[in-house]
Amino acid sequence: MQAGLLTTFKSPAKSRGYTAWILSVILFVFYILVYFTPIPDSWANAVGLNGKWQMYGVLYTLAMIIGGYFFLRKHGNSKYHKVRTWSVIFFQIVFAFSIPEIMGLFDSKGFNFAKFWPLGIEYLYPQYIFEYPLLIIVYAFVASLIAVPILTLLYGKRWYCSWMCGCGGLAETAGDSFRHLSDKKVKAWKFEQWSIYTVLFLALLTTALVIINWGLHFENEAGQWVTEFTTFDLIASKIQGTYQFIVVAMLSGVLGVGLYPLMGSRVWCRFFCPLAAIMGLVQKFGRFRITVKDDMCISCGNCSTYCEMGIDVRSYAQNNESFKRASCVGCGMCAHVCPRGVLKLENKWDFKQSSDKSKRPVFDL
Amino acid sequence: MHYVIIGNGVAGINAANRLRNLDDEAEITIISYESKHHFSRTALMYVFCGQLSEQCVEPFERDHYEKMGFKRIHNKVVSLDVLNKKLQLKNGQSLTYDKLLIASGSVPVMFDWKGADLEGVGNFVLWSDLEWLLEKAKTAKKAVVVGGGLIGIETAEILQLAGIQTTFLIRESHYWPVALDENEGTIVCDHMKEHGIDVRLKTEMQEILGDNGKVTGVKTSNGETIDADLVLIAIGVRPQTDWLADSGLNFDDRGGIIVDEQLQTNLENVYAAGDCTSVVWFNDVRRPEQLWYTSRDQGLVAGENLFGLEKNYKRGIFYNSAKFFDIEYTTAGYVNFNFEDEQNWYQKEEGKPYTVRVTYLPDKTVIGFNMLGRRWNHTILVQWIAEKRKLDWVLKHLNEANYDEELMSPFQVSGGIS
Repeated sequence: MQAGLLTTFKSPAKSRGYTAWILSVILFVFYILVYFTPIPDSWANAVGLNGKWQMYGVLYTLAMIIGGYFFLRKHGNSKYHKVRTWSVIFFQIVFAFSIPEIMGLFDSKGFNFAKFWPLGIEYLYPQYIFEYPLLIIVYAFVASLIAVPILTLLYGKRWYCSWMCGCGGLAETAGDSFRHLSDKKVKAWKFEQWSIYTVLFLALLTTALVIINWGLHFENEAGQWVTEFTTFDLIASKIQGTYQFIVVAMLSGVLGVGLYPLMGSRVWCRFFCPLAAIMGLVQKFGRFRITVKDDMCISCGNCSTYCEMGIDVRSYAQNNESFKRASCVGCGMCAHVCPRGVLKLENKWDFKQSSDKSKRPVFDL
Repeated sequence: MHYVIIGNGVAGINAANRLRNLDDEAEITIISYESKHHFSRTALMYVFCGQLSEQCVEPFERDHYEKMGFKRIHNKVVSLDVLNKKLQLKNGQSLTYDKLLIASGSVPVMFDWKGADLEGVGNFVLWSDLEWLLEKAKTAKKAVVVGGGLIGIETAEILQLAGIQTTFLIRESHYWPVALDENEGTIVCDHMKEHGIDVRLKTEMQEILGDNGKVTGVKTSNGETIDADLVLIAIGVRPQTDWLADSGLNFDDRGGIIVDEQLQTNLENVYAAGDCTSVVWFNDVRRPEQLWYTSRDQGLVAGENLFGLEKNYKRGIFYNSAKFFDIEYTTAGYVNFNFEDEQNWYQKEEGKPYTVRVTYLPDKTVIGFNMLGRRWNHTILVQWIAEKRKLDWVLKHLNEANYDEELMSPFQVSGGIS
């Protein structure tokens, strides 16, 4: 048995009971208020904070710290989980929250160094990124376009998704108790492939249109930023706004977190995140894989159940198939909960999908 | 060709899957009464605790039968008429087969203790046992588990975790002597005690006490009385073959269906696989091998032979795994066979329930491994045994077989006692 997981399917809050539905509604309402209304500003001011976004940052970080504490109470006996949990909390406190706040104190626009395009789609919008000093501009481009693929080739998505990312960080800490609610069916996998690459396509399209549109602008004699291609300007701005509304606000915020208690903590990461889509494609060619020990699986289903990305890990384990899956964020929970130690996360170049079973060794005394 | 498979456990479903891979056209019927869907028996304990749901322990999606084109009969077979190739079902219906696979599994062993029929006495092997125990656990306060094997410790674990104070009666002088030596058995016993289990070694149950038809406690071989409202018997399982008594099949003395290397019985077109089957073990002894792994392998081979491939079932070098509360266990090769001249290299890590035991012969050839705590890749251990590696070489390379989670401190050889 795995301490901390014992009552998972007996607790209404963790198994889509009425408390889960109430929690989900509360999260939906909260996110809609934060994203689309000024109401939370007044709450922020009431507690002495500077606007709703600062309050959101404080709440988000607190949720991760508290959730992280409970996660470590359950799984802190594993060093891998201990280290990666401290890692996501560290990146949230220092990189996502403190550094941008400190930059703000120096009258500079805040910048999260632990976020990359296209998760931060604006990082490649010229009108956004060119307001920063040269060093940050170079960082945004190099990190997003060069460092991310290289690190993913070497370590899989996990260096980001379950060690650094803020969205992943919240899922791994505050959202951990809902990880088993991800849909494991093949149907969900098919939807995931369709949805995540659609969002990636939209992200690429939006970025391209915004960049082209920016290139078609110039400063006129009156010092105004104008373009001769007004129809294109209109379309590009419209698409930029639509992406912002649908993907950034609705999918990553409202649905992504609002559905935690009903569909698990990785709805955004699994179905929609465009950065995850890119890294997933790279991961298939990289070193990271989950190795399956031959013939040791008892098909109990702990691995599949506790996979937050909805991967039916058992279907590989019981077939002696080591595997690479684009969606795997390398959280390591499948290996951790396996009662027979069948699974192992590894970074190795050589990849043998399955072994030759006809060569089972025999021994004569 | 109509293939009928009796049993929906790991042997039956694997045979059906393999058969379907080989033959798109075959008519395949699976008959079983235990549960609607194939489930992993080894995971019953997780469902009891709520770590997994009922559906979580089903290894295939629920449309599996439909997708694979299996006809599924949810009923019990009561007799087999080989002459007419006919099966009689409990609901009165009957059906015929061209080739038959019997994979009816096993049922718990019960002795006729006084009081064995009292309410509150049961087992934890079948799906119906799970349902029974879930119901009982709602009100039970104290439980006694009888039988120092794997099902025994798993049952004790889940009862204790459900808040039921559990006493564990073990006949032997340490836990599970078939698999563990005294050092290892003691480590597991201490671990059980840390979890609050009242472990009684060298203790047998003499009688089950009751009042008004309900269990009130047990009397042990030491003359002691232990209060309990639940008694779980876990002294082993036996082949579920009673219903075949008049079929003309040959059985071993444990009730296992005797099969040849290709898992064919003495009757034409009748095969057997899994727990109900008596096979020749790696040490030339014939008996049922009631393990998940062997049932799975037999099922696959049976599927091939039903199709006509004439494949032999080869057990290969023995391996097994288990988990005692939080302590994982891996074994490979000839451990605890107590060969006259065998020796054992043993090391326990300070302050942790992690042990390594390497069994070897006087010429230092390694023949077995028994490991607690850490994870090991048994395929590599088995390979070394097949290659007749020597002790020194094995100890030097042991970390190549380590399978621990990443970032865990590596295993280090530090002396060890031979």
